[in-house]
Amino acid sequence: MSLADQQAALVEALTAGAPVPPGIDAARFEAARVALLRKRAGEVARQWPLLAAAFGPQWKPEFASWAATRPTRGSLRDGWDMARDLAARGSLPTAAAVELAEREAARHYDGRNAPRSRRGPALRAAGGAVAVQLAGRVWTLRRP
Amino acid sequence: MAEYGVGIGWRPEIAGYVEGLPGLRFAEVVAESVHAHGELPPGLQSLLDREVTVIPHGVRLSLGGAEPVDPERVTHFVAVAERLGAPLVSEHIAFVRAGGVEAGHLLPLPRTREAVDAVVANVRRVQEQLTVPIALEPIAALFDWPDAELTEAQFIAEILDRSSALLLLDVANVYANARNRGTDPLDLLDHLPLDRVAYVHVAGGAEHQGLYHDTHTDAVPQPVLDLVAELCARHRPPALMLERDGDYPPGSALTAELDAIARASGYPAIT
Repeated sequence: MSLADQQAALVEALTAGAPVPPGIDAARFEAARVALLRKRAGEVARQWPLLAAAFGPQWKPEFASWAATRPTRGSLRDGWDMARDLAARGSLPTAAAVELAEREAARHYDGRNAPRSRRGPALRAAGGAVAVQLAGRVWTLRRP
Repeated sequence: MAEYGVGIGWRPEIAGYVEGLPGLRFAEVVAESVHAHGELPPGLQSLLDREVTVIPHGVRLSLGGAEPVDPERVTHFVAVAERLGAPLVSEHIAFVRAGGVEAGHLLPLPRTREAVDAVVANVRRVQEQLTVPIALEPIAALFDWPDAELTEAQFIAEILDRSSALLLLDVANVYANARNRGTDPLDLLDHLPLDRVAYVHVAGGAEHQGLYHDTHTDAVPQPVLDLVAELCARHRPPALMLERDGDYPPGSALTAELDAIARASGYPAIT
């Protein structure tokens, strides 16, 4: 197997649940995989403090289970994607919904490319919160 | 590298603390977190204003990748080095993506001649753009590839020899790998080209289920400080720095760690 194939197989196993490459200690590999997911959870928590805080001590396991087969697209987008998934399922906690609505109003994110600032004003509802962005400033309204 | 003594990894979360260190002469910043042009974060700019040397430390180049390094990443890395006026730069002997997928972490290379060739080729691609030396850092790994053709020391020495790069030695990585492999960390120290060490990382970790994780979010344990002393008794490097990447403790705890590194290395305290 070429180095490129070896490396691709390892990353595939680490980020998408593919089998651990032959000859690598499975238990140690699993320890590394879990540690990596928890490290990612910490990085996402810095970008999405309200999302992480809403889960309290369950944040790391919740994020790890969401991210287990999703390779990172950077912590900003990882948190954004997770918050959108939770909102779509109706299970985004209220404080985190406000955070998501503010982000949605402030920046345009198509789910494929890096988020970018909006030029014009925007009104976005997400997970039970509404945010208004005008000239770069964001106001949030909570639904009763 | 000139003799700088004890330093610290600059991070935005501890910028105020780092700024207040009276004896600080060098720090390191994650290269990918710095804009190549335009304004620097205030805490970092004030270090440069004080003539503290700031070294960019890359974490995303993937020098060990089988594919050539991304030219845009190299351009940014080189521009940051120039922006900071750094006397050298550093990156890892590792890969972080493959087949177009980001691993989000530094991953170990198989210790094969093919992997040596790949790293050396990528280091040369970066060196073509750089006007300052690059130091390469071996990583901590929880698992190893099978069928190694080279020992750890041979693997590192071969890469350094063929690329003319310097060594960024992380004593916490040396400790973690030796502990997890059941080998003697001093044996590795005795087989590395210690005269090629540009500077040294010192970090904390923690044990989980029998494995030592080099977390950078825990206090530096005594065995790692002991290893600093062993290293300095053999060949004292020009600079050693505390590396912390999260769960930042109060300043008094960072001061205690910086002082402990100073004591172990014999350099003056910078706090």
